[in-house]
Amino acid sequence: MNNDFGTWQIVHIPEKEPHDLHQQPTENVVCSVIDPKNANQIVRRLNQIAPLENHRHVKRIHKKNLEGGKIELSVILCLASEGDNQLDGLPPYIHEMISSYQLSPFITKVCKYAATSKEEWQEQCKFWPTSYHPLTYKIDGITGFSEEDSKSVFKFMQSAIELAKSDGLVVNAAVIVDPSAKQIISNARDQVFAWNTCEVDSDIDSSCIRKPGLFNSRSISTGSAPRESFHLNGSSNQLKQPFTSVSCLYPWQWAEQQSQSQGSYYCHPLRHAAIVAIESSAARDRCLFPSEVNIEERYLEFDNESAPAKKQKTICANVEDYDKLNSHSCTSNQPFERPYLCTGYDIYLVWEPCTMCAMALVHQRIRRIFYAFPNPNAGALGSVHRLQGEKSLNHHYAVFRVLLPEEGQHTLRKCCTEVAETEEINIC
Amino acid sequence: MSSPETIKFMESAIKQANLALDALEVPVGCVIVEDGKVIGSGRNRTTETRNATRHAEMEAIDVLLEQWQKNGLSMSEIAEKFSNCSLYVTCEPCIMCASALSILGILRSYFLLCIKEVFYGCPNDKFGGCGSILSLHLSNTMSLNNGVSPGKGFKCTGGIMAPEAILLLRTFYEQGNPNVVDIFFCCDMHIASNAWTIDWNSELP
Repeated sequence: MNNDFGTWQIVHIPEKEPHDLHQQPTENVVCSVIDPKNANQIVRRLNQIAPLENHRHVKRIHKKNLEGGKIELSVILCLASEGDNQLDGLPPYIHEMISSYQLSPFITKVCKYAATSKEEWQEQCKFWPTSYHPLTYKIDGITGFSEEDSKSVFKFMQSAIELAKSDGLVVNAAVIVDPSAKQIISNARDQVFAWNTCEVDSDIDSSCIRKPGLFNSRSISTGSAPRESFHLNGSSNQLKQPFTSVSCLYPWQWAEQQSQSQGSYYCHPLRHAAIVAIESSAARDRCLFPSEVNIEERYLEFDNESAPAKKQKTICANVEDYDKLNSHSCTSNQPFERPYLCTGYDIYLVWEPCTMCAMALVHQRIRRIFYAFPNPNAGALGSVHRLQGEKSLNHHYAVFRVLLPEEGQHTLRKCCTEVAETEEINIC
Repeated sequence: MSSPETIKFMESAIKQANLALDALEVPVGCVIVEDGKVIGSGRNRTTETRNATRHAEMEAIDVLLEQWQKNGLSMSEIAEKFSNCSLYVTCEPCIMCASALSILGILRSYFLLCIKEVFYGCPNDKFGGCGSILSLHLSNTMSLNNGVSPGKGFKCTGGIMAPEAILLLRTFYEQGNPNVVDIFFCCDMHIASNAWTIDWNSELP
């Protein structure tokens, strides 16, 4: 493994389509230098008589540091009217204010729209200060990553990429991480063409009932079984077209699948990597924190064989850290804090998720999404839709793209060139 | 007016939602209908599974996928079969489920052949994918990598037995959600309990 991430970069994908950084739309406003002594009074009065209703991102006051430690305050009186001489035709109450404080109004520019990124915001403030409040402004990383945090992001992305190409056939891969403990919670590859419906669920679930949290070796081996069948699929018709197996890129590719399903392996058009990783993290949670209620419910359902849906919940992905799970739930009586769903967790995806996966990650309360390659076909985090900017949703994650270097280690370069090839393959 | 058949199938979906309510789940249920017969059903299982993606639609789809493959159907046959089915669900499919429904289709020369028709009860003002927030059923919001959009999504009709669907949700929120902050699936601000409304507000920046 190459741990030199020198040329890797993390880019925040904002909630709205960004403007050209240096060509942001501006608007003229009437403003004036004021005496700092009167600032409070003037601003209060202006907010009453001339509120900047549709310009909430624009700060009313501009503070400038002059030589000798002095400061100069300017205030926006009102929006400028259209026309050549914009200082004419000011409303009477503004005239009144100008004369009572002996102001000398002039015209200046402010940015018309709220910034969508830190870079835009910095650029905006060169005209006139604005505020920057993304929906996710409290989330770490929006305003930049420390060197240590970046390194950890790169390492997790690298493990997602390794996973994506771990079986010859390149698919999308997802790694859910608890960033506070720098621990992998679950990971998964796309399972559209190989879905094991048998045993695994009952295996882990029933072992949970008998001895909560205790995994036996059998469940570990069944957990990794689907990988082999990937290999089988891969040797047939999948390898010829690299990346058509990335389910978020080609969500309709499944229907083209020719091979009949065999044995206990099924095709499942919706088992994209993110969905499987969510399922796996939920299974981990059920095993780590089994509650009385859940155990009773499960017994009931085991008796009730008429519920076929129960069998669907398989845990094909690798649940990480079995030893840790065991030690936590067996040796300690004090359960450590249980997060609600994936609150506080990050997910690393090799490709930008499709709409289904992106919304699934909203439902599961993921805090941050990192992806390496955009998904021009069906991407829902900026390419086709931009779910991180849908205000009505009850949860918002922050989205980042991890830019991989053009040069770099061989495998990654190969990955990058294959992506370029993919973009030329027609979806039909 | 809805036909008696539509009402009959929506009543089956409501039955599923009632099962969810009995299991302390957000009460949303659905049935999938082929040739005038219910061939699959599902209800919300998000609390039990601790997997917030286990919506009624996803549950019902999983049942059919497994059954059809056990019966030896090929992938293209399964896609064809879905395109002959209708979905009846008590609440507008969310963005994830609406997207899933379109993925179950088949692309034929820029033509997306997917589930025939969706009937739903109440709208989903927060994350509905069939008109409320996104309109994934219209499929003109999908784009292929050559910029051409598939010509057809699925037909979508809302408001079938909406009062019944809303009543179920209201009952759920009024009896108290076992996970008060856990709102996996809510349809409408107005039907939410006060506790939930406060939680929602607190998430706003």
